[in-house]
Amino acid sequence: MTSLLPWIALLLPLASMFVILLATRSLRTLSAFISVAAVLGSFVCSCLIFFQQTSAAAAICWIDLAPLFSVPLGLTLDPLSRSMLFMVTGVGAVIHIYSLGYMSADAGKSRYFAGLSLFMFAMLGIVLANNFVMMFIFWELVGVSSYLLIGHWFERPAAAEAAKKAFITNRIGDFGFMLGILMVWTGTGSLVFTEIAAGMAKLTAHPSYLTAAALLVFCGAVGKSAQFPLHVWLPDAMEGPTPVSALIHAATMVAAGVYMLVRVGFLIDASSGALHVIAWIGTITAVLAALMATQQNDIKRILAYSTLSQLGYMVMAVGLASGQAAMFHLFTHAAFKALLFLGAGSIIYMLHHEQDIWRMGGLAKRLPITFLTFLVGTLALIGFPGFSGFFSKDAILALAYERSLPIFAFAAFTALLTAFYMTRLVVVAFFGDARSPHAARGAESPIVMTLPLILLSVPAAIGGFGFFARNFLSLPNETKPVVAVPVIALLALLIGVVSALLLYRNRTTEPVEIELFRNRFYFDELYTALIKSTQGLLAAIAAFIDRWILDGAIVRGLSGGTWGSGFLLRLLQVGNLQAYGFLFGLGIIGLIYFTVFH
Amino acid sequence: MSYLELLRLAAPEAIVVLTAFVVLTIGLVTGRREAGDTPAATAGLGALVAALGLAIAAATIVRLPGHATLFHGMLVVSPLNSLFQVIVLVLAFFTVILARGERLLPNKGEYLAMILLATVGLMLLIGSEELLMIFIGLELTGLSLYVMTAFDKASQTSAEAGLKYFLFGSMASAFTLFGLSLIYGFTGTTSLAAIGPRLAEQALPPLLFVGIVMTLIGFLFKIAAAPFHLWAPDAYQGAPVSTAGFIASGSKVASFIVLGKILLIGFGPVSGSADWHGLIAGWTPILAVLSALSILIGNLVALVQKNVRRLLAYSAVAHGGYTLLGLIAGGRAGFSATLFYTTIYAVTLVGAFGVVGFVRRENGGDDLADFAGLRARSPLLAGCMAIFLLSLAGLPPLAGFFGKFYLFSTALRAGANHGLLWLVALALFGSLISLYYYLIVLKVIFLDENAQATPAVARYDFEMRADYLPKMTLLVLAGAVLLLGIIPGTLVARILASFG
Repeated sequence: MTSLLPWIALLLPLASMFVILLATRSLRTLSAFISVAAVLGSFVCSCLIFFQQTSAAAAICWIDLAPLFSVPLGLTLDPLSRSMLFMVTGVGAVIHIYSLGYMSADAGKSRYFAGLSLFMFAMLGIVLANNFVMMFIFWELVGVSSYLLIGHWFERPAAAEAAKKAFITNRIGDFGFMLGILMVWTGTGSLVFTEIAAGMAKLTAHPSYLTAAALLVFCGAVGKSAQFPLHVWLPDAMEGPTPVSALIHAATMVAAGVYMLVRVGFLIDASSGALHVIAWIGTITAVLAALMATQQNDIKRILAYSTLSQLGYMVMAVGLASGQAAMFHLFTHAAFKALLFLGAGSIIYMLHHEQDIWRMGGLAKRLPITFLTFLVGTLALIGFPGFSGFFSKDAILALAYERSLPIFAFAAFTALLTAFYMTRLVVVAFFGDARSPHAARGAESPIVMTLPLILLSVPAAIGGFGFFARNFLSLPNETKPVVAVPVIALLALLIGVVSALLLYRNRTTEPVEIELFRNRFYFDELYTALIKSTQGLLAAIAAFIDRWILDGAIVRGLSGGTWGSGFLLRLLQVGNLQAYGFLFGLGIIGLIYFTVFH
Repeated sequence: MSYLELLRLAAPEAIVVLTAFVVLTIGLVTGRREAGDTPAATAGLGALVAALGLAIAAATIVRLPGHATLFHGMLVVSPLNSLFQVIVLVLAFFTVILARGERLLPNKGEYLAMILLATVGLMLLIGSEELLMIFIGLELTGLSLYVMTAFDKASQTSAEAGLKYFLFGSMASAFTLFGLSLIYGFTGTTSLAAIGPRLAEQALPPLLFVGIVMTLIGFLFKIAAAPFHLWAPDAYQGAPVSTAGFIASGSKVASFIVLGKILLIGFGPVSGSADWHGLIAGWTPILAVLSALSILIGNLVALVQKNVRRLLAYSAVAHGGYTLLGLIAGGRAGFSATLFYTTIYAVTLVGAFGVVGFVRRENGGDDLADFAGLRARSPLLAGCMAIFLLSLAGLPPLAGFFGKFYLFSTALRAGANHGLLWLVALALFGSLISLYYYLIVLKVIFLDENAQATPAVARYDFEMRADYLPKMTLLVLAGAVLLLGIIPGTLVARILASFG
């Protein structure tokens, strides 16, 4: 059954953006409500799609040169995209509502909501695309909207820098992604996912070609999902407004990379070499990011590193050839991480943009709803039994245990670290005495902000139970249950929590200083130095080539030559009719000679 | 075959002829009262009737039966012919509207009538698959266009351009007629459909190739392929602007479709091959040589032009060269690529000449210097011109990009082992050069200051009420160029479907 519902869900936010930009830019509150209405509309459509189990959408052929090149403009609706659609619009709707409160006094509110609408459009496009071309276009659009939203407070240099960094880092990954798409297209002759899947035989015949293509496609996910070594942009992206961090840099956009990998799972699973690389990239990201998180003081940055680490888990699961486990964790993570970010936003909002956890303290009493919901999010994140994160993380750990023990060891270690840094965050921020005047006077946020917290804490708490999760996605099939996995996971959890409790209870300053972790393994410094030195050298060489070889020899010579020949040819255009007639006749004689005597 | 049937199938042409007479009468009755300018109201009435007649003719074409053939192919109704007749009518329609802007022309009624008669010629060219009828269409178009070119009687360059165009055109026609007689002598028929099989079953004497080459001359002249392009710069520069636009658009579209039909249907068996390694005698290598020559000469000479209309003329030579690529590639894909490209090129050029017309009226000239600072004077015109020129240069997402992509990729796939690679590489190189001179024009429009600024006069001129319609037309054309770049599939699918 074809249905227009997905198109409506997709295009509503776009329409909202245009209305805001063209008509209601000066009416800030109206703009906000238009945007919220659009995303709610999309959400309703997604619910209808989800519960009616609509399976195919109307498809249009965009460019059709059948033997040569054709791009169908089609949407895909399978269980994967249906539940992703539901999740994205659901979380999106909650965060739009939350933004009404968080951004209520912002001067650029219209611009902000237009940006959010653009983002929703682009993100839904990625989710629904049934071919690589559309996905790539929306992929770039997501990058643009992320750039705009990170740089929302562009008058702050840090925000402008962060926006630029995010965009450029993403472009590096996207370049590889594009090459990968071109390789797949060359190999199979199609850009549509289903057709590529059908034509995989052409690719599997050349294993090294396939591996290269899969890894290049993975590059796109490395950029967008902030995997090592392109992870550096995500923490900086926290310069954007907190709802943006929650929506884009925790729940949806950064998950797009994982979603894409699962969507083209048939491609990646076919190459064991690529799988191996992907699994290890995910593992490295998970461990490194967790280590860095233990020494951060900015509440949003802690959450950002935790996001990196959790994304590492998902990519690890993809690399272990289980898209279901990755998607499972993606869903639970979207709920609890959005919840945590919004909770952090609520704190930041009430403390007048104070983000240092050492300047908080004692917030549990003053912001009870925020505290309780934040606690739910934390328990889910560290994988406390019964909460959603427990189930999804357990699925990945079990998978790792079964496939690769070294990866399992790292994953378990990451779980320990996760428990450690989250306990540290909660203990320092919410307990003890208030350590700044703002923290001492803070009060609970308005209902428009606490309601989303409560709404999100429901899936964060119970989202992992099979009876609930099964409605949304196909759960990773349980192989024979191994007792060791949950036991080790619980052990890691306990060690992490207890050590953090012992270390940070009633402290007012950081008791352990590990410079290496605090400075994020000096990645940024390394990249800066690398860029500076190579860039200087490259620039010098390029300038030399440009000035002397390209400009001097080739361009001047060529343009001199072309201009010269142009002048010469113009001489033929004498304006004399007899001369023209002569040339005309000469042309005919030349042609006949060429044809007959050649 | 009853005459009623003939009238029914030839109704579109008949309607346009009738409209031409009506417009002529309107011009005669009212237009000659005062010397010099035609009264605005009369000109408006004439243009209205002409536009209406064209619209009705287009509507009639849509209602024709799908397939019909009269008198061994003298008049053929097929989806392809109908589609392109409609396209030509639309181009004529835009020309009529843009001609409204040219207030300096005397005797508007006669001018409009000539546009309509030229359109009839084009419709016959497209609608016929018989050599004699094609020749008549060619002549009717040519004679009307010669008159239109020389129409600006006050201008010496217009008269000169008309004369050159006429003399060249006559020469080309003479060669074509000679070629046609040779073809007839060898095959004993003038029907395109019959010529193909006859050629296939006999040995090919050299004289036949002479006939083929000569037949092609008339069309190569029309599409201004080098070295038969020498009339084009003068005609484009000297003719009234709307005429130049029509020569570059409608006349080219019709010429390409006829050329394609003659080559692919009539001369199909003697196509030969233009592959780098496997040159086989036939018309393909001729076209390949001419295409290469056109691309080189057109682009190189365009580089040094100081007049925008001359620049457009030379770039037209180059674009003619690109468009030939599709015919050289042959087959359905090649022909459809050629037709697609020539259509979008026509739309773009009508628009570009429309902008030139406005600038010319405002500044009295169309040299590069006259375009300086156009952005400040009229952002609308500057924006439209940017779209047209960038599309000509072939930048995405405009129509020109997709057109070139389609043409070049088709040509690349046509020959065995990418035999046409040399020509495609040359065409790409030509596009690179062309980007430079198009950008020069845009630089002048957007960055240079207006040297002889006369803002008061300019504003007065630009706010004339009569300009409203032509400006909207330009906007529509620019929108079409953008839209055809974003969703080219609609037109391509239509062309492919019309092949049946």
